[in-house]
Amino acid sequence: MRLLTHNFLRSNVKGTENGYPLQIEVAALNYEESPVNKEFLLNILPKVNYPALRSAVQQISHRCEPTLPEIPENLDVSDTEGNEKLDDATIVKLHRVLLDVYLVEGWLVCPDTGRKFPVKDGIPNMILHEDEI
Amino acid sequence: MSRPELTGHASLFYNAKEARKYDSSSRMVGIQREITERAIELLKLPPGRPSFILDVGCGSGLSGQVLEEHGHIWVGCDVSRDMLNMANERIERKREASASTGDSDAPSDDDDEEDEMDEDDDDSADDDDGETKRNKHNEAPSPGDLLHHDMGTGLPFRPASFDACISISALQWLCYSNTKEQIPKKRLMRFFSSLYQVLRRGARAVLQFYPETSEHAVLISECAARVGFAGGIVVDYPNSTKAKKHYLVLSFDRAYKAPEGLSGLEGALLNEDRAGVRVADKDPKKGKKQKAPRKKKGVGKTKEWILHKKETQRKKGKETRMDTKYTGRKRPTRF
Repeated sequence: MRLLTHNFLRSNVKGTENGYPLQIEVAALNYEESPVNKEFLLNILPKVNYPALRSAVQQISHRCEPTLPEIPENLDVSDTEGNEKLDDATIVKLHRVLLDVYLVEGWLVCPDTGRKFPVKDGIPNMILHEDEI
Repeated sequence: MSRPELTGHASLFYNAKEARKYDSSSRMVGIQREITERAIELLKLPPGRPSFILDVGCGSGLSGQVLEEHGHIWVGCDVSRDMLNMANERIERKREASASTGDSDAPSDDDDEEDEMDEDDDDSADDDDGETKRNKHNEAPSPGDLLHHDMGTGLPFRPASFDACISISALQWLCYSNTKEQIPKKRLMRFFSSLYQVLRRGARAVLQFYPETSEHAVLISECAARVGFAGGIVVDYPNSTKAKKHYLVLSFDRAYKAPEGLSGLEGALLNEDRAGVRVADKDPKKGKKQKAPRKKKGVGKTKEWILHKKETQRKKGKETRMDTKYTGRKRPTRF
């Protein structure tokens, strides 16, 4: 699972108010670079929750080999036109953290309820138990 | 046509063996590809813009593959872990293939990271030079992400996440309940209301499914209409038993009308039938009409019925009043 997906994922266990962002507990990571897809990034950036992305990067960066590129501390990505002005270096960095790092093994933890969703072989298990529906 | 939905839960039916069979059957692959192509056509996404798409019931990722070829990035969820494992294998294979041909600059080793970084900067510059998009994606399709999840429990995403949603041959599973807790209507409602949330305003969803009966199609489209979606069911090749396909096309635009279905040779004979099931504005009376007429009260309580019941009670050893000439007799009217 990439950080892009993590950025949109939330816990929907019964009774959870927000369930976002899920905390990441890393057991294994995979980092694999792919060609930068600028058009897609410009399309998706306004929807990305930047603070959540940044905290996710902080949670996993100590386990990532090689180290993830540093992304700016405060970046307003909600504006489509503003994003056009982003320089290429920043775009590449954003692409790296959003699309090139994979959580292979670990847990996703709901910040409200503490419910843990296991991640195995890169696939998070979001199946709810019967009492959580 | 056999219906695996009746045999039990999707995650039980699509076990490791069935998943492999499904994935390696060239007929299945062909059909899935065709349906996905048609679904993408129905989505009417802005051309040339890579979108973020949700694939509900992605299975072994056959539909995701088509999405990749169109340059989109997708997230798939499925309830069968074995199917997801197949999808994972496919993604791995693809990654290896692209790494070995050298089209992608994905590093095979962590050691040559420095060089790769440099190369990559060049690559992003190339993008600006107007390289044709389709080619670029064919060289190194970015795999989708997978999620093990049951769509009947609501989609676990934050609001307005996706540009579009597709679902190939999955929705009908929601019409069956496998445990006592699963109520089809409740699960459908939950699915659609969460789908309504996670889609970006103005997005569209195309959900292909195989309704067993027309009631299923009506139930599904009613649930979709109730949560606020506009749209309807497009039926392709309505007069062919095999090629007939149902697509539920949903939109946020209230004025949106589902387009006409395709009709080939098979469809040419009886065009009026094509309408099939279409959700017009919801008619509150419609639901009531379809309910089975209620049994008239007291129809069963004849003298014979009472005597029979008393007899069985007696046989069980229960205390029962004796039969008299008054048993089962009508009371006198008061006035």
